[in-house]
Amino acid sequence: MDLSMLDTLIPALAFIGQGALMTLTLLLGGLMLGLALAIIWSIMRYRNMGTPLIKGLVSFLRGTPLILQLSFVYFAAPTLVGIKLDILGAGILTFGLNSGAYLSEILRSGLESLPKGQFEAARTLQIPAFPLWKDIILPQVIQAILPSLTNEAIALLKETALISTIGGMDIMRRAQAVAAEKFTYFMPLCLAAVYYYGLVLLIEYIGKQIEKRGAYAAA
Amino acid sequence: MLRLEKGSKVFGETSVLKDIDLTITPGMIVGLAGPSGGGKSTLLRALQGLETLTSGTLHVEGKRGFMFQDFQLFPHMTVLENLTYAPLIHGKESVIQEATTLLSNLGIAHKGASYPHELSGGQKQRVALARSLMMHPDYLMCDEPTSGLDVATIEDVVSLLQSVKNRGVTMIIASHDLDFLTKIADRIVLLKEGHIALDADPKALDNPIHTLKNYYT
Repeated sequence: MDLSMLDTLIPALAFIGQGALMTLTLLLGGLMLGLALAIIWSIMRYRNMGTPLIKGLVSFLRGTPLILQLSFVYFAAPTLVGIKLDILGAGILTFGLNSGAYLSEILRSGLESLPKGQFEAARTLQIPAFPLWKDIILPQVIQAILPSLTNEAIALLKETALISTIGGMDIMRRAQAVAAEKFTYFMPLCLAAVYYYGLVLLIEYIGKQIEKRGAYAAA
Repeated sequence: MLRLEKGSKVFGETSVLKDIDLTITPGMIVGLAGPSGGGKSTLLRALQGLETLTSGTLHVEGKRGFMFQDFQLFPHMTVLENLTYAPLIHGKESVIQEATTLLSNLGIAHKGASYPHELSGGQKQRVALARSLMMHPDYLMCDEPTSGLDVATIEDVVSLLQSVKNRGVTMIIASHDLDFLTKIADRIVLLKEGHIALDADPKALDNPIHTLKNYYT
């Protein structure tokens, strides 16, 4: 093996690896914001509050390209509302809104598959709305949709690469930077792929562990 | 006292309850009988407030509890958590001790840490009963408490519910099982096509099962 290749490989590995921090921040930030929005939207829809508005928003977020939404939030929104978000902020907001739309559909189907009797049982025990959702309904629904949640996390991880289009120094952007500097695409892109795929395997592993831990309804 | 005045319930174009007048006095076991679709389950749910009446009024003095046909235990909570969750939310004290005592009285003291899916049908029913009793109801509605249980377990349910009555809880039991109802009830209210077709003490009837069965055709 040509040792001079190692001289470029190791710094590139470290340089691209630093981008994993931004990728993960976008993933976790987007996922948390998305889940919070999805929970709020699903509960509102279940209680028939603002249903047409939420349906319209979800439909719009699912019906336009994510790269357009990201560009809009980063480039166009400042002239519209006068608030300029930094790259990370714009990324988390956009990915949060977008995955919120997908997650709310997943949550809604989970909610519909839960027996109505669970709500009625809680009612006969005079459990108020907040603990009802927090302790009775959501834990069951989230357990039921965990496989879909894992899928959404994987999809979002790959979509965070779009942050490179507005200048975010994530895995993808850093791989491109190495490529531009060293005049070779093969090695940096392979490294980026290894990072992304490694993270996907990690998400799958964590998802499986959480599924196992909460598997009360194994029968 | 639990009193329904001119209670009516309409689902779409179907009138399920038609001007029902019913007063339930404390200290009894009231059986709701009648053919399928006669309205017994709707009446039971209306007495609990799970169905809103299309017209009529419900007067309630005292607390109500409900036992579902399919129990509706919380599957992600242990038996003990199922019993203690609601009382703890309401800030009640010594809840765990009370739940433990109740479980041992019901013969399932060893199941406190189990999850509902690990229990048999009869055990689930005891847990559902215990969960309702933890809220100290004056009235307990039971929807089809013998469905899906074998003959020996039904015998247990009879003595179980009688012991609940002895605790001072008034029970209203909807059931299609006439053998069971005539054994346990102090009063049987038979619903047919949304009306009360019979309201009697089964002990006062000659051959009560036969008499009741006549209304099923």
